[in-house]
Amino acid sequence: MPKLKAAAVSFLNAWPLTAGLDASDRIELTLAEPSRCAAMLEAGEVDLALVSVAALTKGEYEIVPGLAIGADGPVQTVLLAGDQSPAIWDEVFLDTASRTSHVLAKLVLDDMGVHPEFSPLPAVEGLARATGTKGALVIGDRAFDVRKSQVLDLGREWTRMTGLPMIFALWAARPGRVSPEDVQELTRAAQHGLGIRTELAQRFAAQRGGDPERYRRYLSQRIRYGLGPHELTGLETFLARAAAKGLLPPMPLRFVDDVVRTTRTRRHVSLDTALAKGAAGERLDEVEAELLDERAPLLELGLAADARRRALHPDGVVTYIVSRNVNYTNVCTTACHFCAFYRPRGAADAYVLTRQELAGKIEETLRLGGIELLLQGGLHPDLAIEWYEDLFRWVKSNYPTINLHALSPEEIWHIARTSELPLEATIRRLVAAGLDSIPGGGAEVLDDEVRRRIAPLKCSTDEWLSVMRTAHQVGLKSTATLMFGVGEEPRHRASHLRRLRDLQDETHGFTAFICWPFQSANTRLTASDGSAHAYLRTNALARLYLDNVPHLQASWVTMGGGVAQAALHMGCDDFGQVMIEENVVSAAGTTFKMDSEEVERHIRDAGFSPSRRNMRYQRLGGAGA
Amino acid sequence: MPLSTLANRALERDGLGPIRDKVLAGARLSDAEGLQLLEAKDLAALGALANHVREARHGQLAFYNRNVHLNPTNVCVATCKFCSFARKDDQHASEGYTMSLDEAVEKVLSKRDYGITEVHIVAGLHPTLPWDYYTSLLGRIHAAWPELTIKAFTAIEYHYWAEKFGKTYEQVLSELQAAGLRTLPGGGAEIFAPRVRRKICDDKATAEQWLEIHRTAHRLGMKSNATMLYGHIERLDERIDHMRRLRELQDETGGFQVFIPLAFHPEHNMIGKAFPKPTGYDSLRTLAVARLYLDNFDHVKAYWVSLGERLAQVALGFGVDDLDGTVLEERIYHMAGSTVPQALSERSLHDLIRAAGRVPAERDSNYHVLKVHEQPLPPAPPARLPATA
Repeated sequence: MPKLKAAAVSFLNAWPLTAGLDASDRIELTLAEPSRCAAMLEAGEVDLALVSVAALTKGEYEIVPGLAIGADGPVQTVLLAGDQSPAIWDEVFLDTASRTSHVLAKLVLDDMGVHPEFSPLPAVEGLARATGTKGALVIGDRAFDVRKSQVLDLGREWTRMTGLPMIFALWAARPGRVSPEDVQELTRAAQHGLGIRTELAQRFAAQRGGDPERYRRYLSQRIRYGLGPHELTGLETFLARAAAKGLLPPMPLRFVDDVVRTTRTRRHVSLDTALAKGAAGERLDEVEAELLDERAPLLELGLAADARRRALHPDGVVTYIVSRNVNYTNVCTTACHFCAFYRPRGAADAYVLTRQELAGKIEETLRLGGIELLLQGGLHPDLAIEWYEDLFRWVKSNYPTINLHALSPEEIWHIARTSELPLEATIRRLVAAGLDSIPGGGAEVLDDEVRRRIAPLKCSTDEWLSVMRTAHQVGLKSTATLMFGVGEEPRHRASHLRRLRDLQDETHGFTAFICWPFQSANTRLTASDGSAHAYLRTNALARLYLDNVPHLQASWVTMGGGVAQAALHMGCDDFGQVMIEENVVSAAGTTFKMDSEEVERHIRDAGFSPSRRNMRYQRLGGAGA
Repeated sequence: MPLSTLANRALERDGLGPIRDKVLAGARLSDAEGLQLLEAKDLAALGALANHVREARHGQLAFYNRNVHLNPTNVCVATCKFCSFARKDDQHASEGYTMSLDEAVEKVLSKRDYGITEVHIVAGLHPTLPWDYYTSLLGRIHAAWPELTIKAFTAIEYHYWAEKFGKTYEQVLSELQAAGLRTLPGGGAEIFAPRVRRKICDDKATAEQWLEIHRTAHRLGMKSNATMLYGHIERLDERIDHMRRLRELQDETGGFQVFIPLAFHPEHNMIGKAFPKPTGYDSLRTLAVARLYLDNFDHVKAYWVSLGERLAQVALGFGVDDLDGTVLEERIYHMAGSTVPQALSERSLHDLIRAAGRVPAERDSNYHVLKVHEQPLPPAPPARLPATA
């Protein structure tokens, strides 16, 4: 198969997106100046190019979803510089390299009420002449060296004007050239590149001098590489403002995966029939699930789900587990838009837990009656399988009674990749070292259309499911999750549930399903409906559709005890976890806390009998009484 | 519209078939039936029945108003054990305060630009403030802002003033009515049962006095609200007893507009340590039973400050048709440990209501609909971040 031809700028900020393409067998990369990249794309010399946003106007290009070069605040490498305040500038020299920055400079100055003449001039010359009432635009790596008394960071100014991120460049493709597999290849390259940002910074410093730490901070804290809903809003706002000022022609955004969706003609199903089927435990199809999701009143869904819960768990027992969440590292290469917890390697508050810290946590857990360690962490670029094996063996030899419920599919996938091992071998080795079961986190919405927008650098739906399949096949049990309210539609939720149910038919390895709404505080993603009402509906729908998953967990940690009690009457039979520590959710602003006494009070008050369980959902006799 | 098959099946399974039949026939529930519902432990079925009544009365509308709260003083001679708001004096050390008339009036008038239609005024039993403080307060607000509806003071305060200033209930109420009072909030009812009142609020107006004041207000042509503070030491049958007394007075006067169950909040008060906050389950079933038992009340309110926004939203499916209002600067629950915001924008209220599949309807203090918002509000102008150095 001929390789796809691609062009990209050679600026440092592009390296994390391009470094991983060196060894690609799908994509052949040429590096060039920004204007040359745009020209090559326009002339058809390449199929896709990492181009400045303004270059999109030159053709009917398709944007590769999920990836971009942008900033949310200061960017450091797109500057207006001079000796005097911009307020008195009467002429600004524009570096010839990038039209996007020209437009941005004009918008920013206009917003400040400054209307100078604009003259094209190469940056070196422009900078030299930027004295008195003259200013100059400087972009790219040479901006690192600007020494002027008046410097306006255009990323910072844009965010101040709009409250939004600024997108400078993205992968644009000629129509019809780029396949979903190519998108995956670009995404994978980015995952790799973002993981080695420290090395890239060192390499760059070695080439041109300067402080590698400064470049590392630039790559990991200034530049943002995701193109999620928040960034898209920033991009659309930029294009709209530029068009309103006549600086760019109006242009609609098209994405590689925007295949025109043929209007789906849906089979006619009646709501009552679907509800009755669900309540009776008959298998619902995706059309029925979507219909229920869109139209069924809350209490009708709740009553049907309650009927299912009564059929599956007739004795009115509601279980819960006492365990401790330990996040072994907050270093992560993924940078999901909805995560408030993770840090790039080298950040001041980055950590990897020491054995001593972990020992303290485990001993405290056992003292408090905990039986399980829920061990999860970021995708740390330096930790290979041996590190995890040593850790698990150490835990099991020192604390043989503790259960290790550890590593989400994303982490297992990452370990396999970092260690260059097949998935099955990776899981078998982890099990041999002491892994007991795996949590179902990171599923988010199992639909690639959604995943690419909210978590472009995470594993795909198939990858997530293949980890679960393999884990179940080697005998592990796991949970399954759904994080809704990220802007997905009912059809995406239905497809998520279908993928889970299909795999469960195959393996029967899922013990329980848990859903929660996306929480947006301290994250960059704007939530869609994540209300308590939506939570109860989603939960009830899952009880009806997932006829082969035995348990449904109520998420009081995210929704509060009262809503979780209502969920017990609408499909759930488990009250989750009395947890001794949970960093990820609390970093995003949730503050619900309960001890086991309070959890049992909630269960009893709602009319059920509490019982403690282990992570295989076996009830622990007497412990909860 | 009939109840759904699923709801019927669940109600019959739980032995609630006869109650359902009475509800659907519009017949009144007995106390025993009210208690049976409170003890039913089948939240979804109970909710479906309450929702049926709610939708028959109000369709998909969910009411709210734009209001501001004024608590001119927190100094109170009563010693209610559930209260975290009251202070014994207005000294700095006890965090007590009393606003001057100018301050209190200005606090309300400063909200002129917020589109507010009601001021909700509740204070404490202040030992030294003169009678004309209260008449002047209402008189000055009313004169300066006549379109604003003044909803003021609990029956507990009226009773205290009647005794202190040697007036009849009717004198107290009509003098304030002349100054601008239009409607009464429902506070101070707590739980009517004497057993409970003796233990938690021995030194304030009795049930009979509370009810007599509302009866008097109704006779004077003013509407009022009714509350119930639940989830502390009261038994379930005492909640039904409370609602029965309200239902009886309502039969007599028709002057109550809305019933508002209030969840006890445990922090910073005398009984909080012994009694945890009622669970959300308890709140939902109480609201649902209120909707079914109080057949002569038009409205049942989930006060979002008391329940939290999440539970208040869910309550819209359990018989509730009103969420209170924007509530600028709530103080009383916040001093009892509430962590919800002190005010909600109209937009946030709409979002909560719409996400529950209901239609927001702005009302005035007397539940006249001012505007039904069939369409979402126009998008807010983009937020502009403050300039940073």
